[in-house]
Amino acid sequence: MSGICVSGCGSNTNLEKLLQLTLNGLMAGTVLAVPAIGLTMIYAVLRFVNFSIAGHMAVGAFAGYMLNAWAGLPAVVAVLGAFIAGAAVGIASDHAALRPLRGYSALTLAIASIAVNIMIESTIRFFFGGSPRDYAIPLRRDWTLGFLHVGPQQVENAIIAAIAMAILFVFLTVTTTGKAMRAVADNPMLADSKGIDPDAMARLAIGIGMGLAGIGGMLVGLDTSIDPLVGFRAILSVFAAAVVGGLGSVPGALVGGLAIGLSEELSLLALPATYKSAVGFLAILVVLTLRPRGLLGARA
Amino acid sequence: MQKRSLITRRKALLTGVGAIAAPFVITTPGFGQTGPIKLAGLVSLTGSGSPFGPNSRMAHQAVVDQVNAAGGLLGRKIEYLAEDDQTNAEAGQRAARKLIDVDKTQAIMSVWASAVGTAVLPLCWENKVVMLAISAADSLALLPHQGYFVRTQPHTELQGKEFGRVILAMGAKSAYLIMPQTPFTETVFNAIRTTVEPKGVKVQSVIIDGKKTSFKSEIDEMVRANPELFMMGGYQAENIVMAKDLFRANYKGKVIGFAYGMTPGFIDGAGKEAAEGMFACAEPAPAGGSSAYAKLKALVKKDALDTYICQAYDHANLAILAMAKGKEATGTGIKDNIRKIANNDAGVMVDNALDGLKAIGEGKEIKYSGASGPCKFSDTGNIIEVAFRTTQVKDGKLVEVKI
Repeated sequence: MSGICVSGCGSNTNLEKLLQLTLNGLMAGTVLAVPAIGLTMIYAVLRFVNFSIAGHMAVGAFAGYMLNAWAGLPAVVAVLGAFIAGAAVGIASDHAALRPLRGYSALTLAIASIAVNIMIESTIRFFFGGSPRDYAIPLRRDWTLGFLHVGPQQVENAIIAAIAMAILFVFLTVTTTGKAMRAVADNPMLADSKGIDPDAMARLAIGIGMGLAGIGGMLVGLDTSIDPLVGFRAILSVFAAAVVGGLGSVPGALVGGLAIGLSEELSLLALPATYKSAVGFLAILVVLTLRPRGLLGARA
Repeated sequence: MQKRSLITRRKALLTGVGAIAAPFVITTPGFGQTGPIKLAGLVSLTGSGSPFGPNSRMAHQAVVDQVNAAGGLLGRKIEYLAEDDQTNAEAGQRAARKLIDVDKTQAIMSVWASAVGTAVLPLCWENKVVMLAISAADSLALLPHQGYFVRTQPHTELQGKEFGRVILAMGAKSAYLIMPQTPFTETVFNAIRTTVEPKGVKVQSVIIDGKKTSFKSEIDEMVRANPELFMMGGYQAENIVMAKDLFRANYKGKVIGFAYGMTPGFIDGAGKEAAEGMFACAEPAPAGGSSAYAKLKALVKKDALDTYICQAYDHANLAILAMAKGKEATGTGIKDNIRKIANNDAGVMVDNALDGLKAIGEGKEIKYSGASGPCKFSDTGNIIEVAFRTTQVKDGKLVEVKI
């Protein structure tokens, strides 16, 4: 079985295909980077992989759905609601389920976060059912640029993702609170001795991280559809992006997101499409073998 | 002289132990049959099969209620149990274990997804529980199920051949097939190829990872190949994503897909514009003109029925009538007698459990003919006689068409 076939394609066709897949990969990677940054931020401050990010992607997707499809707000505005809902549920679920386990190992916390994830997805399913739902946005034809084509929604999603990431970078590099958060990520004891409240920074990291997950979930849904498993389907790629970029590194998660997005799409040149998910794991294996701390180290 | 007690300590001990053990002993199969007869639906209330599972449960319950109201089966009430398999093999297997080990069901009815059926069927035959399935993967009938398996859904090779027939009837000279990885993907692809390639139709096929969020690049590649016909072979969720990308890419060819993936929910999710004109194929046609279909419509108070609720209705009727025929309320009783009431063309034609029970009570041979069709089974458990139908999305609704 061929991947994305191509017997009898000339070199021009192959070049066109390469460029189209690259474009698709960059678009997908930009969206993927948003929740990956959320995952890595939480890891940087709390030192465990919070897999409930998948459930929080679904929370954001459904919050955005309610604001857009039910309340009639434009999708761009609903994205803010997705961030707020993801952040609020993230802080609440952490406070209720994960904070009491802080003294235990990272593995214990990671396993507990899987349980939290299942509870969140089940709760959404209880209220909304399992059927796919669609945002109230018009379906538009792709824009064609020579032999390349790209969907208007893809471009809008990439712009929203880029804006969200830009705001985060400004927050982390310019504001006092952002710098304090980075200080906690770098050295919690030293930050504590300087009067920075690690609990407050942890809450902030979780709020921002899960808020970004909420945005990511809505962006995925805007281009496809949403159901309670919208985040679960993306979590392997999100995790791979964070690991490849370097767990704990915010710029690394961006680079990792783009790398995973590109590698998943470009793999179609050589591999059957059914192995797309395996590409993320292959990328993790290769990067960790050659560079155990990921592409951009382990710190924000 | 002290009178010796009639009840010795040993007798008292034995009596006590016996009294405690009695409820357990008499409910164990083989130690007499009392209490309700357990029948179970392992249905998809969540996941890809969720558009159909609730209806299956409703049909099962309606049949059981009807029989119980008329006095039950073999002098006992029937208790209906339903579990959600989440359209997921692992969850389905856990639910089946509970139904078999804890609830002691004699039949598991209307398993929808092939992956779930594949995971659950070995549990059934090992525990002498009959599976009356919808699951269509060819491999199921080839397992050593010892007769504890029948299905009313045509197996996937037949469905693939039906797709081939539709492709030829539409006059397409090139076809591009995309399906997610399932236990029957290769079977369907091969059946289509062997049907259409000898007639000169060029076929390309791609298996996708159905767990991904987007299939844009796969659709791009299909559009680049510019086939006259595209088979969008996903479940509802994947089809919604692919249909949107087809619309965005302005694909102009014909689009066909499995009826189970092109539901009213699919049209809502993909949008009427994107879904318009697409064909839903390989759906076993419910016996729309039959008396069983009319009775089921009245029973569940619905104006139109899809094939799955019809099959679920037939599963419950068949299980009850087979037990009545053999006078044995066990999975083995169903297995040994189901063909006697389903394949016997010389019997009195019945279309529901109540009429069948009455006829059996009068000592008559019966032939059950259901809402999903004639319900005849081969030795391997496959349905023998099948009629397919094709529907097309017109003005946002699925309308039956002749192809």
